[in-house]
Amino acid sequence: MNLIIAIMTALLFGAGIYLVLEQKLLKILFGLSLLTHAGNLFILSVSGDPTGKIAPIIKNTAQAPYVDPLPQALILTAIVIGFGVSAYFVVLIFRFFREENETSLEEVFTNNER
Amino acid sequence: MSANIAILPIFLPFCIALLFLVWRSTNALRRTVAGSLALLLFALSLKITHQVYVSDIIVLKVGGWQPPFGIALTIDLFSAIMLCLSTLTAFFCLLHSFTSTKQKNENVLYLPLFFFLLTGINMAFATGDLFNLFVSFEVMLISSYALMTLEAKGKDVKFAFSYITINLIGSTLFLLGAALLYAHTGTLNYADIAQKSQDLAQTPYFQITATILFFVFAIKAGMFPLYYWLPKSYPVLSFSSAGFFGGMLTKVGVYAILRLFCTILPHNMNFLHNFLLYFAVPTMIFGVLGAVAQSSIKRILSYHIISQVGFMLLAIGFFTPLGITAAILYIIHHILVKASLFLIGGLAEKVCGTDELEDMGGLWRFTPIIGILFLFQALSLAGIPPLSGFWGKYLILVVAVAEKHYAFAFFSLLASVLTLMSMLKIWLGAFWKPAVKKPQDLKLDSWQVGAAVLALMVCCSLVIGLGVGHFYELAQQASDQLLDQSHYIEAVLALEGATP
Repeated sequence: MNLIIAIMTALLFGAGIYLVLEQKLLKILFGLSLLTHAGNLFILSVSGDPTGKIAPIIKNTAQAPYVDPLPQALILTAIVIGFGVSAYFVVLIFRFFREENETSLEEVFTNNER
Repeated sequence: MSANIAILPIFLPFCIALLFLVWRSTNALRRTVAGSLALLLFALSLKITHQVYVSDIIVLKVGGWQPPFGIALTIDLFSAIMLCLSTLTAFFCLLHSFTSTKQKNENVLYLPLFFFLLTGINMAFATGDLFNLFVSFEVMLISSYALMTLEAKGKDVKFAFSYITINLIGSTLFLLGAALLYAHTGTLNYADIAQKSQDLAQTPYFQITATILFFVFAIKAGMFPLYYWLPKSYPVLSFSSAGFFGGMLTKVGVYAILRLFCTILPHNMNFLHNFLLYFAVPTMIFGVLGAVAQSSIKRILSYHIISQVGFMLLAIGFFTPLGITAAILYIIHHILVKASLFLIGGLAEKVCGTDELEDMGGLWRFTPIIGILFLFQALSLAGIPPLSGFWGKYLILVVAVAEKHYAFAFFSLLASVLTLMSMLKIWLGAFWKPAVKKPQDLKLDSWQVGAAVLALMVCCSLVIGLGVGHFYELAQQASDQLLDQSHYIEAVLALEGATP
């Protein structure tokens, strides 16, 4: 299970970094959100191999080994923050587009360097 | 419950921000309330500092959870000092923005965003939990993005992208670092990590984790080679916000590095300390060389932040008690001086209508008071005795020589000389050179109130310079407390007082 998560994380990171290095702002946006997802998956793997463990809802003292719930709480926080930041970034791209009539950083910075 | 005071530096600015989000009419009353609330926050921080000074580390177990479960707000002397500095700088920058912007031109969102920013900064200083530190960084960064794009005029908005993108990547790395640290130790509480990681220092996986976290904070602090975002994006801001950003935001990164090295990680991670030493020198030199090459006040001062961060990192890198003391003293001096230099630049810009040095001039003749204020702070930044900058630099030199790192001592002296040179560039361009514009084009009626605010600020840093004995003693106690990990662990994880 953890091997699959590791491969997925690596793929997402690779794709995310590739996209962040692009010049088009929309690609950067997608790259950043892929990076966030990669980070979230990585945190999930921290709670260990889940096979044979139960969800951490404990009713009485009879206990099977349960999954560590803390990383999931962390992911939840990270997802909310990532969502807010993405929303902000979209609005920023819109403002950029209205100022420059363009969504590529390369065009803007080569045409009017100050 | 005297520990409950620890929540106030976070909770109050948050409430104030909400208040100003609802109260949308920009009038004089709104400004008066904002200013006096900022002053109240400073008084509160002084109270906290006093309490930490006379008794001990304040630990607030939020919700009554016994650490390491739940979040413990932990304020030691260093945090308390940083709280004082952040609220004091916020107060002065607010006043300056009130004097420099007309009421009808003020954006209604400026005050709420400013106080959200302060919330994030204070939370970063007060928290004792690594994930909470991540959240506070996010609160701080999101409000700073918004403030930056709010103040960016027209096409300048493109310069904000480098700031935003690198910080978003930094946040992702922070998450990775926190997750890895959790995987190693099973906890996120500073004290508990410190307790459980003492034997791990030499294992390679733990060293990788520490390095990731270190790099995240180095991005925020603007360490070489991760600083390029700073001088591009800060000039987008107005002078009063640039003062606050330049004074506080990078110093949150420096604070986090100190906290990471002194409180969280075991003290025998020598490779990281050496790493810091060898990267601090290029940070100092390249930062100041960048400053010498620039031609507008805002950009010169922005590059200077980097070079000054280099000094702090150098002092931390030696990792001796005296080195940490020097770093803390330097931070105390630097935040006030840097912020006030930006604000003085704001006054000069207001009089001349621009901050490009080519088009300025004649300020010494028409407004000598601004010149005097500038001289005090510029010489202090360059390290001329008996101003506050001298003592920080002197201590750093003492440490460098005591540790027999003569090359580092030489480079820090070189950086000081170059600092003086770039300050002279502003001095010659803006103050001494004959005026480019005709006197009737200068706005000579609008700077007096702002200068009064700044005179107060200059007095504060003069107090630091002249009464350095007290501040040195304070910094020494703070560094002793920082380096005493077992005391910190004991204070946070002690079982008594578990019930609220």
